[in-house]
Amino acid sequence: MTTTVTTDDLHIHVASKRFDSSQSTDGSLQVLQDMDLQLPPGEFVSIVGASGCGKSTLLRLVLGLDTAYDGAITLGGEAISGPGLDRGIVFQDHRLFPWLTVEQNIGVGLRNASFNAQQKRHLIAEHVALVGLEGFEKSFPHQISGGMAQRVAIARGLVNRPRVLLLDEPFGALDALTRARLQGELQRIWQKERITMLLVTHDVEEAVFLGDRVVVMQPHPGRIRRIVPVNLPHPRNRSDPEFIRVRDDVLADFLAPDRRGPSDVPPTAQPSAAIGFSSERIRFAW
Amino acid sequence: MNSTTTLSPLPAAAPAVTAPTRRNQAFTRRWRGLVVPFAAIVLWALVSRLDLVNSALLVSPAKVLDTGRELLSSGVLWLNLRASLARELTGFVIGTGSGLVLGGLLGLWPRFNRIVGPSFNTFKQISLFAWIPLISVWFGLGDVAKVVFLSLAALVPVVVNTADGMRSTPATLLEVARVYGYTRAQTIWHVVLPSAAPAIFTGVYLALVYSWLATIGAEYLLVSGRGVGNLLIEGSEHFRMDLVLFGMVAIGLVGWLMNASARTLERALARRLGR
Amino acid sequence: MASTLSYRVAAPAASGRQRLQGMARGAEPFLLPIALFALWAVGAAQGWISAQVLPSPQFVWETLSDLATSGDLWLHAQASLQRVLVGFVVGSALGLLLGAAMGLSKTAEDYLLPTFNALVQIPVLGWLPFVLLLVGIGEPLKYILIAKAALVPVTLGTLQGFRQTPATLLEVGNVYGYSRRQQVLEIVVPTAMPTLFTALRLGFTKAWLSLVVVELVASSEGLGYLIVYGRQLFQLDLVMAAVIVVGALGYAIDRLLDWAEARVAARHGARPTPKGLL
Repeated sequence: MTTTVTTDDLHIHVASKRFDSSQSTDGSLQVLQDMDLQLPPGEFVSIVGASGCGKSTLLRLVLGLDTAYDGAITLGGEAISGPGLDRGIVFQDHRLFPWLTVEQNIGVGLRNASFNAQQKRHLIAEHVALVGLEGFEKSFPHQISGGMAQRVAIARGLVNRPRVLLLDEPFGALDALTRARLQGELQRIWQKERITMLLVTHDVEEAVFLGDRVVVMQPHPGRIRRIVPVNLPHPRNRSDPEFIRVRDDVLADFLAPDRRGPSDVPPTAQPSAAIGFSSERIRFAW
Repeated sequence: MNSTTTLSPLPAAAPAVTAPTRRNQAFTRRWRGLVVPFAAIVLWALVSRLDLVNSALLVSPAKVLDTGRELLSSGVLWLNLRASLARELTGFVIGTGSGLVLGGLLGLWPRFNRIVGPSFNTFKQISLFAWIPLISVWFGLGDVAKVVFLSLAALVPVVVNTADGMRSTPATLLEVARVYGYTRAQTIWHVVLPSAAPAIFTGVYLALVYSWLATIGAEYLLVSGRGVGNLLIEGSEHFRMDLVLFGMVAIGLVGWLMNASARTLERALARRLGR
Repeated sequence: MASTLSYRVAAPAASGRQRLQGMARGAEPFLLPIALFALWAVGAAQGWISAQVLPSPQFVWETLSDLATSGDLWLHAQASLQRVLVGFVVGSALGLLLGAAMGLSKTAEDYLLPTFNALVQIPVLGWLPFVLLLVGIGEPLKYILIAKAALVPVTLGTLQGFRQTPATLLEVGNVYGYSRRQQVLEIVVPTAMPTLFTALRLGFTKAWLSLVVVELVASSEGLGYLIVYGRQLFQLDLVMAAVIVVGALGYAIDRLLDWAEARVAARHGARPTPKGLL
C-alpha cells in the first residue's frame, strides 16, 4: 500500500457528524466520530457494520449529498463539496427510472457528462456488455428481475468512469442466490476496471469476499473498530481455509462478547441473517 | 467467469383449467350482462302493447326507436349533439390547458402552493353549479357562459391531479438526479414530469368526463342555444317521453364512448411509458 | 438505504428572525383571499362595476344578516338539509345493498354491473326530465335524484371494498374451516369497513353537490332556490349570500366527514384515502 499521494487518492477524515434529535439529552446525536480512512486508487474497501452504525451516512458524506460535518473528505487533493460525476453510487434500491429502458437508464448517468452523442452510445453499449445484459437494452425495469435491475444500476454508476464507485448495501434487497452471483459479478467487474470501490454492507462474508481491506465499524457513535487486511488472491474462493479464517475473525467482532477489542462498548449489533455459515461454536451476543 | 449464463426459470405450473373451458366461462359471463336490459325492454314492450298502464307517458320501445330514427334522419340529433360536443371540447381544451399551467405551478413552486393552494381547495369544494347564476349575469346565457362553466369543470381535476402527481415524485429518484448533477430544469423535465405522467393523464381523463357531465347541466341552466340537454328539456316540457328517453340514450352512449376511448388511450400510454 | 437513520429534527431555539418567518408562513394562505376581498370592496365602492354585476361586500353582508335574522335562511337551509339527508340515506342504503350483492357474488355482478355502468353514464340532470315526467315536480323528484347521486359512488365503493379482501386473510379463514357466512361477517366486512366509509363519504359529497343542482332547476325553496330566485330578480346580493352559505355548509360538512373518516381509518389501521378528485 503506497503512501504517496496520487491524483486519485480518496482521503476520508470525519472528526464528527451529528444529526439533530429530539430524543437525546443534548438535542443532537453523534452518528460518526473520528473516521479516518485513506483509499489509494484501484483499491476495494469494504465497510462492515450492523444497522445503525452510520456507514450509510458516511457514504452520503463521500458522495457529497450531505456536507454538514466536521472534517474533510478529499479526492485527489480536492475537497468534496457536493455531488459530482467523479463519484458514482449504487443504492440498495436500484432507483431506476420506471419509464426508461435499460439503455436509457444507464444514459441518465451521462446526461451531464461531456461526451458527444456517439461516445455516449458507445459507453452505454460497453457498460451493458460489462454487466452482462446484452439483449435487454430495450427492456423496462418492471420487465427484468431485481438482480438484473441492480446490474443496470451498477452500469449506471460506472458509465462515466468515475474515480470512485460507492456501493450502499447493493445486494441487500436480493435473494441469497442472486446475491452470491452478483458478488462474483462485481468482483469480475472490479478486476477488469480497477476503479476504486467503497462498499458498505452488513454481510461479513460479502465484505471479506470483495474487499482488499475490511473496515469494521461499531455504533453509538459510529467509528472504526479495526481494519482487517485481506491478503488473498482474486478471484476469491469461499472455501479457502484462509478465507474462512479471515471471515471468522471479522465475524467474531459481532458475535462473541468476550472477544471484544480495546473499546469497552459491547457490540449492540446483531449479525444479519445474510451470513450463511453454520457452526455450533457461535454464541449469540444478545 | 462469464456472466452471460443465466439460469433458465423453472417451468410454470401447468394451468389448472384447460383453455377451452376458461374461454367458455368468459363468454357466458359477458352475455349475462345483457340479460337485465334485455328483460327490461321486453317487459316494457309487453306493458305498452297490452295497455296495462294507462298513461300518456307510456310510450312503446318501438315509438322511441321511431323518434330516434326521425331525429337522426332529419339531422336534428346530429345538430344538437354537435353543438354540445363543440362546446364541451372547447371548454375541455381551455380548462385542461390552464389547469396544466396552474397545476404545474402549484406542484413545483412551494411558495405559490402556500399562497394559492388553500384558496383553490376551498373554491373547488363549492359546487360549480352554484356559480352558474353569477356566470350568467357576467357572461349571458349563450355559448360563452357555457364554455366558461365547462372550462372550470375541466380545470379542477386537472389542477388537483397535476399538482398531486408532481408533488409525489419519489425522493429516491430526485436524489439520483442530484447525484448526476441535473439542473432544476433538467430535473423537472426528465424526472418530475415523467413520474407525474400517469396522474396528469388521470386528471385530463377526469376533465373530459366532468366537462361532458357539466355540458348537460349547462344546457339546463343556460337555456339559450342548441344542445342535447335542450332536447331533453323540450321533451319534458312537451310531455314527450320518447324524446326524453332517446335523448338519455344518446347522452349515455356519448359518455360511454368517451370513457372507453380515454381508457384505451391510457393503456396504450402506460405501455409506451414502460409500466 | 436501509440503514439511514431518520431523526426528528429538534426545533431550534427560535431566533427573532425565524419567528417572523414562521408568522409570515402562517399568513400566506390568507394573502390571496384578503387581496381579492380588498379588490372587491374597493371596486364596488369606487363604482368600477355596477351593483347589478357585483354588489358591494357590505350589501351582501346586510342581505346575509337579514336572511339570518328573519329566519328565512334557516327555512331554506332546513329544506335543503332535509332533502339531502333523505336522499342520501335512501341512496346509500340501496348502494350498500347493491354493492354488497355484487361484491359477494360474481353472478350478481355479471348480471347487474353492466347495466349499472350504463346507467351511470347519464348525469343526474340527464335523469331529471325522465323522473320529472314520472313523479312531477314535488319533493319525491328531489329525493330520487339526490338518491341516485349518492347511489353511484356508494355502490361502486362498496363493490370495491368487498372485492378487495386480501387473499391472505381469506386463506387463513379457509385453513380454519370458516363457513361462507363466517367468512363474510368476520373477514370480508371488517376489512371492507374503511373503503365503505370512504364510499359513503363520497356519496354524501355527491349528494350535496347534486342537491344544489337540482334546487337550481326545480324547486321552490331551499338554498339553490334562493340562488335562482335572486338571479331572476337581479338581486346578486342574494345570490352571493346564498352561494356563501352553500359553500360554508359544504365546507363544514366536509370537515366533519374528514374527522369521522380519520377516526374510522385509525381504528382500522388504514390510511385514509388521498383527497384526489373522485
